[in-house]
Amino acid sequence: MKKLILASLISTCSFVAFADVAVIVNPSNSNSLDKNEIKKIYLGKSKSFADGVKVNPVNQNGNSVVDEFNNKVVGKSSSQLNAYWSKLVFTGKGTPPEKLDSDQAVIDFVVSNADSIGYIDSAKVSDAVKVIATF
Amino acid sequence: MKKLSLAVAICCACVTSYANAEVRINGFASIVGGKTLDNDSTLYEYDNDISFKNESVFALQLSADLQDKLSATAQIVARGENDFNAEFEWAYLTYEFTDELQLSAGKMRVPFYRYSDFIDVGYAYRWVRPPQSVYNIPFSTYEGLSLLHTSQLGDWDSTLQIIYGSFDGNIGVVTYNDKAELNDIAGINWTLSYDWFSARAAYLVAETSIGLSDQEPTGQALNGLEKTLRDNGLVTQANDIAISEDDGTFIGVGFSIDYNDILFDAEYTQLEVENSILAKQSQYYASVGYRMDEIIVHFTYENNDDKHDAADFDKITQIPDLNGAINQALLGTKAQSTVYTIGTRYDFHPSAALKVDFSRFKNDITDTETDVIAVAVDLVF
Repeated sequence: MKKLILASLISTCSFVAFADVAVIVNPSNSNSLDKNEIKKIYLGKSKSFADGVKVNPVNQNGNSVVDEFNNKVVGKSSSQLNAYWSKLVFTGKGTPPEKLDSDQAVIDFVVSNADSIGYIDSAKVSDAVKVIATF
Repeated sequence: MKKLSLAVAICCACVTSYANAEVRINGFASIVGGKTLDNDSTLYEYDNDISFKNESVFALQLSADLQDKLSATAQIVARGENDFNAEFEWAYLTYEFTDELQLSAGKMRVPFYRYSDFIDVGYAYRWVRPPQSVYNIPFSTYEGLSLLHTSQLGDWDSTLQIIYGSFDGNIGVVTYNDKAELNDIAGINWTLSYDWFSARAAYLVAETSIGLSDQEPTGQALNGLEKTLRDNGLVTQANDIAISEDDGTFIGVGFSIDYNDILFDAEYTQLEVENSILAKQSQYYASVGYRMDEIIVHFTYENNDDKHDAADFDKITQIPDLNGAINQALLGTKAQSTVYTIGTRYDFHPSAALKVDFSRFKNDITDTETDVIAVAVDLVF
């Protein structure tokens, strides 16, 4: 029994380790961003990259990567984020990033939009995109 | 209903004429059921029979990004208290000069309070309704301009808004149906926030005229008193009763904290319409809450105090009858009350919350208490 618990603990740990979130941009994008800057983009507080190009962020739709990202980078639960955005949306002060359905959809979006930023399961990273940070 | 189809038509027109205009539809709804726990008193329009109508709201927002920094937004709100007749409560154009500066023109919310802008979006706050002792100005929209400047000062976010416009419509001030006209509404408000802390100050002025309805005894009596004074040549006294082109001033300050799942909110407001029968009002509330993942429990204390300054009384002691009548009218506007609310919010779904609030309203002048219990489901979509 103990071994089983130990085994499941190890597998939980390794699962967490594999579920890192990679923040990705188009390979042509040479800006660097730290965690706080990424957070500000996803809260609609900063709207441009350091080089002045308007940033076009995308979110994901209700999967574990979203929870991981919201938890590690934005620091809010999905309910809190919904409440946060509802204050901006219904007062004309902001629009939340568009939501895409999968890691692949985010990769495709980032590949085809030079001004975009997205986040995916770090295990799904491909050469077509540039990883700007991992959490 | 006709208004709603108009909105849909406008929206469709936008879609067809601007091939590249992106139209977004968002919405929010609150279904609220409540009742008083006493037989003979009413509060927040509830009586002893349960009602699902008074505070229920259903709203749709359409926003279209037109070309180049221009957007159009309309919010259509159907209120239960208004038989769910859909009305435009916001309808405005916004031009973004820069990431930090935008100008809006049209029909918008008057930014009196911290929660004014999203006062109907129950999902955005923890109560069933924001504290009514403070959130009691009987109109909430204006037509005009709003200049919004957002910036970052180090780790602080700053939002500065300047508005100018006007309002006219029938509202409940002294009677249930007074005709109000507010001109040259000018206001400024500034919010500073830092991660878990936020502070806000607001100042608004308006040239205020309110005609009291003759359909109700209070309106009749006040209009009668004003006329009697005027007929007797007491113009100053008559003008001090009438609410006619008088200077209205509103001041609001507040702050909120959301730190380690401890929530604290407080707001203080003052409203005065000079040289009028309306009493000087001051109100505040303080609210604490505690968040346990999806559940928030909270407790709120509210206080309202409306009265005329002592200097407003006994202005014409040489005419005892009229002096007495004026004093009585001034006293009639006095109000003093407190409210305690205890409640809970449960985020049972990422975009929906269930709330239960119990409020005890105490009228210190009549020394009566009224209890209201309300259950709400708030959602955003």
